[in-house]
Amino acid sequence: MKAVRTIVLGIAATLAPLALAADKPAKAKPAETPELLEQGRTVYFRRCSFCHGLMGDGDGPAAEFLDPRPRDFTLGTYKFRTTQSGKLPTDEDLFRTVSRGLPGTAMQGFDKETIKNGLTEDERWAVIAWIKTFAQEFKNPEYDPYKQKVSLPKDMPASSEATIAKGKQVFERAKCWECHGKQGRGDGQKAFDRTDDWGFPIRIRNVTHPWKIKGGTAVEDIYLRFTTGINGTPMPSFIEGVPKEEDRWALATYIQSLQHRQTEHQVLKPLRVEGAVPSASGDATWTKAPPMDVRLAGQVTAPPRWQNPSIELVTVRAVANDKEIAFLLQWDDAFKDAVHKDDQELDAKELAKVGGYSSYVDPYKQVPRKLETFRDAIALQFPVKPPEGTKRPHFLRGDASSPVHLWHWKADLEEQGKRSVEEAIARGWKQPAKPLGEKQQLVAGKAEWNDGRWSVVMKRALAAADASGVQFTPGVFVPLALNVWDGSNGEHGLLMSVSTWHYVFLEAPTPVRVYGYTGFAVLATGLLGFGLMRKAQRSD
Amino acid sequence: MRINRFWSTAATLLAIYAIVKWGIPAASRSITGLPFPLPVPGALVFIYMTLAVVALAILVTFSDRYMDEFVQPVRRFLRGDYGRHPRSVVLVLVPLLAGWQAWDITAPEVAVPAALRIQHPSSNFPKSFETLKNPHASPPEADVQAFVEQAKANNVGFIAQVEADVKRWREANPDKHALEFIATAPMKKFLAALKSGSVDPRAAKAALIEKTLFEGRALYAMNCRACHGDSTAGDGPMADGFKLRPIDFTDNGTIETIVEGYTFWRVTNGGPGLPTEATPWDSAMPEWKLTLTEEERWKIILAEYDLAQKTPRIPEKH
Repeated sequence: MKAVRTIVLGIAATLAPLALAADKPAKAKPAETPELLEQGRTVYFRRCSFCHGLMGDGDGPAAEFLDPRPRDFTLGTYKFRTTQSGKLPTDEDLFRTVSRGLPGTAMQGFDKETIKNGLTEDERWAVIAWIKTFAQEFKNPEYDPYKQKVSLPKDMPASSEATIAKGKQVFERAKCWECHGKQGRGDGQKAFDRTDDWGFPIRIRNVTHPWKIKGGTAVEDIYLRFTTGINGTPMPSFIEGVPKEEDRWALATYIQSLQHRQTEHQVLKPLRVEGAVPSASGDATWTKAPPMDVRLAGQVTAPPRWQNPSIELVTVRAVANDKEIAFLLQWDDAFKDAVHKDDQELDAKELAKVGGYSSYVDPYKQVPRKLETFRDAIALQFPVKPPEGTKRPHFLRGDASSPVHLWHWKADLEEQGKRSVEEAIARGWKQPAKPLGEKQQLVAGKAEWNDGRWSVVMKRALAAADASGVQFTPGVFVPLALNVWDGSNGEHGLLMSVSTWHYVFLEAPTPVRVYGYTGFAVLATGLLGFGLMRKAQRSD
Repeated sequence: MRINRFWSTAATLLAIYAIVKWGIPAASRSITGLPFPLPVPGALVFIYMTLAVVALAILVTFSDRYMDEFVQPVRRFLRGDYGRHPRSVVLVLVPLLAGWQAWDITAPEVAVPAALRIQHPSSNFPKSFETLKNPHASPPEADVQAFVEQAKANNVGFIAQVEADVKRWREANPDKHALEFIATAPMKKFLAALKSGSVDPRAAKAALIEKTLFEGRALYAMNCRACHGDSTAGDGPMADGFKLRPIDFTDNGTIETIVEGYTFWRVTNGGPGLPTEATPWDSAMPEWKLTLTEEERWKIILAEYDLAQKTPRIPEKH
C-alpha cells in the first residue's frame, strides 16, 4: 500500500512542474541592459500598445471596447501575483501572465510555444523590463516584491470529498457568499455598484465558469488568489480572515469543485415521456432529461456590435410526449432584471454609420449598464422551413428567403403575470422580427430566478395546428440557436449574446421491418444450427 | 503434436484479422512518423477478410481428407462430445449474434448533418477583386513624398482612432520627433536619415508602411481581435461561442493561400455575402462595408498579414 502511494506521489511530483512549464522561464532571466530595454520597447509597441497605450496607461485605442479594461501599468497595481496583498508582482509573476495570458479577456498568451507568432522567452523578458519602466515603484528597493512572497502550503492534499466539505464550511464562515453568492455564481450583492481602483464597474466573478477564471483554474491558483488578494479590485486577501493554510487549501478545493464541466455534443435529444410534459422548472422530470450546453458569443455580425456579452453559457434540456415539447433553458445571471424602459434603448441606426469612429458599442459610455433599465430575455430560434440538405438560414435571424421562428421569453412580461413568450418571424437582422398574430401565439412560458440563475420553461405542441412556424417531426434534425439578453449589462435589441446552430432531434420509433429482419435472422440461424446438430447426431 | 485443421484455420483467420485491424495501424506510425496511427478503412478490412476466407476455403476443400479433418471437430461438437452445455450455449449465442448484426445493419442510423467549412467559393467571388492590390502595401510615389514633407515639418497626421493616444505620448515627449514612438527598425532608420538631411525614398516608403501598420494594428484590435484574437490565431475571448471557429491566420492553409483581393472581398462582404454554395452560413463574419471605410479595411488587412507573419498569394497572370 505504501509502495503504491510512493509511486503515485512520485508520478504526481514529476507531472506537476510539467503542467506549469510553459508559464515558467526555462533559462535564467537576462540582465537589464539598455539593449534589452530597447528590444522591449519595440515588442511593446508592436504587440501591446494598441490596448495598453503608448504611455502604458491602459488607454490605448482599443481600450474602451474591452471589459475588463487593459492594465494601467503606471501605478504598479497588478492583480495576479505571488506576493502579499497590495504589493508589486515578481518578474516571474509577470512572465507567467505574459506567457499564458488571462483567459476570458483580451489578454492572450504570448508564448511562442503555444501560438506561432508568439514571443520568445527573451522577447518576453525584454517586454517585461520595458513594462516595469512605466511605474516608479519598481525602482524603489523598499518595495522589493521578492521580500513579500507568499508560498503555497507545505501540505497540499489532493481534492477529495473531505477537503471539499471542509472548504464549503470555510466558504460559509469566511462569508465568500456575500459577494460570490451561495452557489458561487457571483450573485451575492444586491447592488451593481462595485468598481475597481480606476472607477470602472467590476463584475463579481462567477467561479463556476472556468473559462473566465483569469488567474488559473488549478487549486494552487485559486489558493493564491484569496491568499494574495486581487490588487485594484474589491477582492481582499483572506490571509487574516482565514489564517490557517489548511483551511484556505480546503476552500480552494471546494471552489475548484464548483467549476462547470461542459457537455460537448450539439444535438439535444428530448426525453420521451408518456404523460404530460413539465410546465415549470421545478418538475423532477427535468433531472432525467440529458443536458446540452450551448456556448454563446457577443453579437458581432450586425451593427450595433457587442464585444462585451455577459451570458456565455446556456444549458438546454427538453422533454416531449406524442403531442407536446417543453424546453428548459438555464443560465447564470447575477441580477434579476424584470423591467424594461423603451426610451433608454440605443438608436441602432445612429451607431451603424459607415466610417463612424467605431463599429462596436463602447460598454462604458454608450450603453446604460445598470439595474432597473432593461429586461433579461432569451429567444429560441428555429428555421421556419425544415432545412434541405445542409442548407440552413444564417444563424443571426435568417434572411428574406430563409425566415426563422423566434420564441422570445421576456422577464418583464413574466413579472407582470402576462403571457411571457412572444412568437415572431424574423427575415434577417435588418428589420425587426414580426410578431405572429394573437391566435398564433401558442408557446407557454414559465420562469424562475434563483441564486443567480434563470430557469425558463417554454412549451408548445410538436406541430402547430395551422402548420405555421417550426414543426418537430420525429427523425428530423431541427436546427436550434439562442439569443440571450442580460438587461443590467445594457443588452437589448441586437446587443445580445448569440449562439450558432445546434440541433433538436426527436428520436423516431424503430420501424417494424427492423424487428422483422432481426427476428428472421435469429430464427433462421437458430434453425440451421439445430438442423446441423440433428444431422450430426443422426450420422452416427 | 499436430494441430487440428479446424483450429489452425480459425487461428490463421484470427491472426490475419489482428494484423489488418491493429498491426497495420501500429506499423503506420513508424512509417509516417505521425503521432497517431492510421486506421485501415472498414471496406478494406472487409476485402482483406473476404480474400482470407476464400483462400482458406480453397485450402480446406483441397482434398476430402482435408475436408474431413476440418469438419470432424464441428461434427463432434454438434454431437455433444465436448459436453451438452457448451453446445447449448453456442447454439443460442450464434443466432443472437446474427440478430444483433441484422439489427445493426437495418436500424436507421442517426447522423448529425455535416457542416463543412468552405473557404473558396467556386463562383460569386467577383473577378474584379482577384487582381486588387493593397494600396498601402506599396504606396504611390506622391503619398511617400507627402509623408516625407509631413515628417520634415513634424506634423504627421494619424487616423482619428489612434489620435488621442498619440497626443498623450507627444505631450509627454515634447522634445522628440512625433514618429519616434514607432519603435521599429525601418522607422528608426528613416528618422536618422531625416536628421542627417538625406532621405532615401525607399527608406521613406518603408517608414510610411510602418505608420500604416501601426494604424492597422489598432483597427484590428478594435474590430477583429474579439474573435480572431491578439495572436491572429482565431482564439479571441469570444471564439468558443462559435461552432465554426474564427479562422486562424497563422495557419499555413488560410490567408497565405489566397490573394489580397480575396481577403478584401471576404472582409467587405462577410458571412452574409457568401454565395449559396457556401451554406450552411455559420460564418459570423460581419459585412464590414457597412461600418469600415475601404481605407480602414485595407489597413487592417496589411496589419493582419504582418501580425500573422504571412504574405498573400500573388495573383496569377491571365
